[in-house]
Amino acid sequence: MKKYELQDVTQPNLVEDIFPYSLPPLIKFEGKINETIDGKVVEFDPNEVKTRDIHITDTTFRDGQQARPPYKKEQMVKIFEMLSRLGGSNGVIRQSEFFLYTKNDRDTIDACRNLNVRFPEITGWIRANKGDFRLVKEMGLKETGMLTSSSDYHIFHKQNQTRKQAMDQYVEVVEAALEAGIRPRCHLEDITRADLPGFVFPFVQRLERLTENQPANMKVKIRLCDTMGFGLSYPNAAEPRSIPKLIWRLRNECGISPDRLEWHGHNDFHKVHINGASAWIYGLNALNGTLFGLGERCGNPPLEGAIIEYIALKGSLSGIDLSVITELAQYYEKEVGTHLASNYPFVGKDFNTTRAGIHAGGLRKFEQIYNIFDTTALLNRPPRVSITDKSGTDGIALWVNDFLGLKGDERLSVMKVAKIQRWVMDQYEIEGRLSSITDEELEEQVKLQLPDFYQKYHKN
Amino acid sequence: MKREEIAERVIKTTARELKLQPSEIKESDQFAMELGADSLKSIELVAAFEEEFDLTVVEEEALKVQSVGSAIDFFDSIINKK
Repeated sequence: MKKYELQDVTQPNLVEDIFPYSLPPLIKFEGKINETIDGKVVEFDPNEVKTRDIHITDTTFRDGQQARPPYKKEQMVKIFEMLSRLGGSNGVIRQSEFFLYTKNDRDTIDACRNLNVRFPEITGWIRANKGDFRLVKEMGLKETGMLTSSSDYHIFHKQNQTRKQAMDQYVEVVEAALEAGIRPRCHLEDITRADLPGFVFPFVQRLERLTENQPANMKVKIRLCDTMGFGLSYPNAAEPRSIPKLIWRLRNECGISPDRLEWHGHNDFHKVHINGASAWIYGLNALNGTLFGLGERCGNPPLEGAIIEYIALKGSLSGIDLSVITELAQYYEKEVGTHLASNYPFVGKDFNTTRAGIHAGGLRKFEQIYNIFDTTALLNRPPRVSITDKSGTDGIALWVNDFLGLKGDERLSVMKVAKIQRWVMDQYEIEGRLSSITDEELEEQVKLQLPDFYQKYHKN
Repeated sequence: MKREEIAERVIKTTARELKLQPSEIKESDQFAMELGADSLKSIELVAAFEEEFDLTVVEEEALKVQSVGSAIDFFDSIINKK
C-alpha cells in the first residue's frame, strides 16, 4: 500500500491550474482511454479534443420548437442574434437549424440572414421527401438535415418498410440533394437502438460511396440521433448503446471524418449533457443542442452547458461571451414566457444563491469557497444569499453588503446587522413564517436599522 | 479607563442583554456554556459592547472571545491600547 504523509503547508493549495476562477474549471486528462471493440483494445486519446475543431450546432428553432408553442418571428430573430454574440466570431456556435415549412419559418430565416452575422450559419431541416428540396433551394441554403431513421423500430413499425426500401428511399433523397447542390446531413434517428452492422454501417458506407467524388464541402454529414436517450458514454458498454464504439466504427470502418459527425442527444435518462460531451471526447466535432435543453420530451443537450464544457476542454473563451447566457435567460423569462427552474445550472434564479448560513459565512470570507467560478465577471451574476431562518447572521451581512454595494473594509460586520437578523428570526419563531424573506422586506429593515448606511450607500 | 470600570460595564451590558442580574455574573463565566448565549445572542452581545464603549471591533477577533473575563481583557486592550 502506498503511504501518504500529511503535508502541513503554510500556503493553501487551491489547485488553480484546474480551478482558475477566471474561467469555468478546466478539464484535464492524464492518459489514453481503452475501449474493447471486437475483442481488441482500441485507444482513444482524450487530449485530441483540445486541438480538434469541436463546435456547437443549434437546434433551438427545430427540435427545441417541437416541444413548445411556436416562437414569434421577432423572438427567433432576437434569440438568433444573441446566439451569434454568445458563440462569438470564431463560430463556436457554428450552425443553427430551421424549419422551412411555413411562411413564418421562411420569413424568419430571411430576417435572421439580414442580421449579416457570420455565425451561426443557417441550415434547414426537411423530411426525407424529394419535393422538399424545392424549399431548401428557394431559401438559398447550402445544407439541410433530413430524416433518415435507422432502427427497425422506425423502419418496420413506423414506416412499414423493409430495410432495403428505407435505404433506397434515403439514398434517393440524398442524391436529390446533391443534384440540387445542397449538402445533405443525414439524421440517423434512433441510432442507439439500431442494428448497426445490419443497417447503419452499410447505409453510411453507401452514402460515402455516393459522395466520394464530391468536393469536401458537399460530402455527406452524419448526425447521430440518440432519439430516446439510450446512448451510454461508459467505457466498454455494449453496442448499440455505446457512444465510443459508434463513433470509432463510423470513423474507422466507414471513413467519416470527425468534421462530418454530429451528436444529437435526448435527456430521457439524465445523460444528455455528459453523452454530448463524451461524443466530443470520443472523436466527433459537432454537438447539437438547444438553449436551456428545451426539446422533445425531456429535452436536448443544453447549449449553454455545451458552451461551458467547450471552455473547460479548450482552456479559453475562444471569443465566447458568457454574459449573453444571462441575457438569454432573462429574455426567455420576460419575453418568451418560459420559466426556467430556479436550480437550473448557470441561469436559474438560485444557481449561485445560498440559503445555508454556514455557506454564507464561507462566501463572506472567500467567495471562491461556494461559487463555482467568477460568475460576476463571466455571467454578470454575483453570488447571492436568500434569507430564511437558516441563512444566519452571515447571510444577512452578505445580503446587506451586496445590497449597499460595500466592498473591502467598508463592509459591515455581523454585529452591525444583528438587529436585522433578530427581526428575521422573530418572523419564523414568533410569527410562524414559512416563506423566504423578500428583498423588499430586507430593504425596509436596512432603512429602519441602518438608516445612516442606507442614506449614504443605497443607490436608487 | 481603568479595568474595574470596563469590567463593571461589560457585566452590566451582559446582564441587560442576557436578562440576568449583574450579581449572577462572574468573570470566569463562559457566555455560551454558563450564561446561555446562543450564536445570535453572542453577536448581539458584541454589538451591545460596541455601543457601550462607542467603538467598532474586528469581527473575527471579537467573536473568538468566549468568557466574561476575556471580554473585559479584550476591551481593556482596545480602549487602553495595550
